[in-house]
Amino acid sequence: MAPRKLIQTLLASEYFVLILTALYFLALWPFTPQLGSWRNIQHIFSNMLPLLVVAIGQTFVLITAGIDLSVTAVLALASVIGASLITRDGGVLAGSFLAVPVSVLAMLAVGLAIGGLNGAAVAWLKMPPFIVTLTTMMFVSGFAVLFTRSNKIANLDPAFITLGAGGVGGIPNALVIAAVLAAATHIILSRTPTGRRLYAVGHNIKSAAVSGVPVAQTILFAYLVSGFCAALASVLYTARLETGDPELGERILLDIIGATVIGGTSLFGGKGKISWTVFGVLFFTLLDNSLNIRGYSHFTIQIIKGAVILLAALLDTLRNRWLAAT
Amino acid sequence: MSIPRGHRPEAHPTETVSRREALQRGLAAGGAMAFASWLASCQTQSGGMTIGVAFETLQTEYWVASIETIRAELKKRGFAMLEAIADGDANRQFEQVKSFITRGVDGIIIAPKDKHTVIPMIRAANKANIPIVLYNRPPAESDAKSVTVVADNYAITSATVEYMVGEARKTGRKHKAMILIGDLGDVNSIGRRDGFYDVVKKYPDVIDPDIQGIPTEWNQEKALAGVTNALQAHPDISFIFTSSDFMFPSIVSALKKAGKYKKIGEEGHVILGGFDGDATAYQMLVDKYLDADGVQDMFFESEQAVQAIVDLKAGKEVPPIIHDKGFVIHQGNLEEASKRMWGAQFKK
Repeated sequence: MAPRKLIQTLLASEYFVLILTALYFLALWPFTPQLGSWRNIQHIFSNMLPLLVVAIGQTFVLITAGIDLSVTAVLALASVIGASLITRDGGVLAGSFLAVPVSVLAMLAVGLAIGGLNGAAVAWLKMPPFIVTLTTMMFVSGFAVLFTRSNKIANLDPAFITLGAGGVGGIPNALVIAAVLAAATHIILSRTPTGRRLYAVGHNIKSAAVSGVPVAQTILFAYLVSGFCAALASVLYTARLETGDPELGERILLDIIGATVIGGTSLFGGKGKISWTVFGVLFFTLLDNSLNIRGYSHFTIQIIKGAVILLAALLDTLRNRWLAAT
Repeated sequence: MSIPRGHRPEAHPTETVSRREALQRGLAAGGAMAFASWLASCQTQSGGMTIGVAFETLQTEYWVASIETIRAELKKRGFAMLEAIADGDANRQFEQVKSFITRGVDGIIIAPKDKHTVIPMIRAANKANIPIVLYNRPPAESDAKSVTVVADNYAITSATVEYMVGEARKTGRKHKAMILIGDLGDVNSIGRRDGFYDVVKKYPDVIDPDIQGIPTEWNQEKALAGVTNALQAHPDISFIFTSSDFMFPSIVSALKKAGKYKKIGEEGHVILGGFDGDATAYQMLVDKYLDADGVQDMFFESEQAVQAIVDLKAGKEVPPIIHDKGFVIHQGNLEEASKRMWGAQFKK
C-alpha cells in the first residue's frame, strides 16, 4: 500500500488511538526494555482499570453534550462512606459477612444519588451542566472532609481489600468488574434504544425532542450512569489503597476527561464509544507509565504529557476535518 | 503596486502542492529527528545503584529543598536517581512506586501522602524485595516493613517553645498564646502540637492557659483566615507558634493588618516561633522579626535515608525509625546555626 493511502486508512480507522498507542509502545520498547516486561504490562492494565471505570461514566455524559465535574467528589464521598462502615476501628459492619455487599451497595447508592441530583438539575431545571456539577463537586467534597474531619479511614475489612487487589484464578477482580461494566455499557450505547437516544440528544437536543425522544429522562440516565461508575471506581481505588480517603481523586479530573476525549469522544456531544474510551485510557496510562519508568523530572513529565495530549487532540481534529472532506 | 479586486493572481497549483509537500516533509523530518533524539535519551544509565525517589508534592519550599538535598546526596555517592511526584494523589504515588519496582530500582525513598495509603506501597516493595525508606512521614502500624527517617517533632518543638517562653518571661508580663496546628491526620502535626502545649502548660505564670489553637490542615488560606479572626477576637495575643514555616506569610499578613508586626525590642513585638527552618524563617530571623525556629536537619535526614538503603541492601540491621534531633536557631546563635539551616543554605 502506498504511504499516502496507508496514512489515509490509518486516519479513517476506528482504531486510530489504539494504533497510535501501539506505535508509541513499539517505538519506546527497544530503548526502555522494562516497558514490555510482563510485570509492567500487568501494572499498566491494573493502573488503567479504576480510571477506565470512571471514564466510562464520563463518556455517557459527554455523548449528551454535558460534562460531569463532580465525579471526583463522588469518588471521595463514596470512599469514606464505604470505609466508615467496614473499618475495624469501629465500623458497624466490621467482621460481618454483610460488610462487603452492604458497603459496596452504600457506595453505589452515594454515586446514584449524586448523579440523580446532577441529572435532575440539568434535565428539568435546564441548568448548565458545568455549573451544576461544579457546585455539586464543591459541596460533596466539602462534606466528605467534614464527615471524616479530614482523617483517612484505614484498617478496612480484608474481604473488601481483595476487590481491588485480589483475584480468582490469576484474573484480578478489578479486571472482571471493569470488563463487565465496559461490555454492558457498550451494549447499551450500541444496541439499545437508550443508546440511540443518548446520541440523538447530544447531536441536536431540539431535533431529538421533536422526534419524540424523552430528553429529560435520557439526560438523567447519563448522569446516573456517571455517578454509578464513579462510585464503582471508588470501590476499586479504596480497596487498592486500603484506605477511605476524603481527598480521593481530588487531582484526577483532568485525567478522566483528558483520557475520554483523547479516545475520540467529543466535548460537543453526539460522538463517543466505550471502545474509544478504553483506547484513550490505555494511551493515557501507557504515557504516564513510560515517563515514570524513564524517571524524568516532574516538570519534564508535565511538559511531555501536555505536548502529547495536544498532539493527540490536534491529530484528532485534522483527522475529523479530513474525514468530513472525503 | 495594487492589484485590482478580482484580479489577484492565484498561486500556481503545482507550486502550492510542492510547498505543502515540502512543509509536510520538513515537519515529518523534524518530528522524526526530535523523537529519535528523545528515544536516544531513553538509554538506561549505568553506574552505581539506582534509587527511586517518590514525593507526594513539591508544593512547599521544604519539599523542593528536600528532593534537591537527596539528589545531591545520591550524586555524591555516584548513584542514579529516578524521580516521581504524585501531585497529592495517593493512587498516582502507588502507580509510581510500581513503576520503580518494574524498573528494578535498588531502593525507594518515599515522602508519602499519608501514613495509611503508603502501606500497600510498602507491601509492594517488600514483595519485590526492594528496600524502602519513608522520608519525613512514618507509616501507620502494620506488618509492612520499612525504615522511616523523621524529625523528632516533639523534642524540636519543645526546645523551640522553651526558648520562646524564656523570651516571654523577660518582658515581665503574662502573654496570650496562639498555635497554628497542621493536619491532624499527620503524626508530625500531632508531635508539634503536643510539644507546644506540654511546654506552655508548664508556665501558667508566663503564658495564659486559654490558648488559641488554629486548625489549618496545612493550608495557607485557612491559616490566614484563622489568624486574622483570632487577632480580631483576641487583640492581646502576643505569642505565636506555627507548626510549619510555610505559614509565616499568612501570619505576617494578618499581623501587619492588625498593626502588630514589630521587630524584637520594639513596643508591641509579638513573640514568634516556627518549625522547619526554611528561607522565609531565616530572613525573618535576620530581620529580627522572628525569635526562634525549630530546624529539621535536612542534610542529616537525606544522608540517613540514602545510608539506610545502602545498609538494607547490604543486609545490615537498620532501626525502623531514625530520628533527626534537629536544633533550635534563635537570635543568640544565628550566625553559627545558620550554617546547618537548610533555608539559609538554599537562600545563599
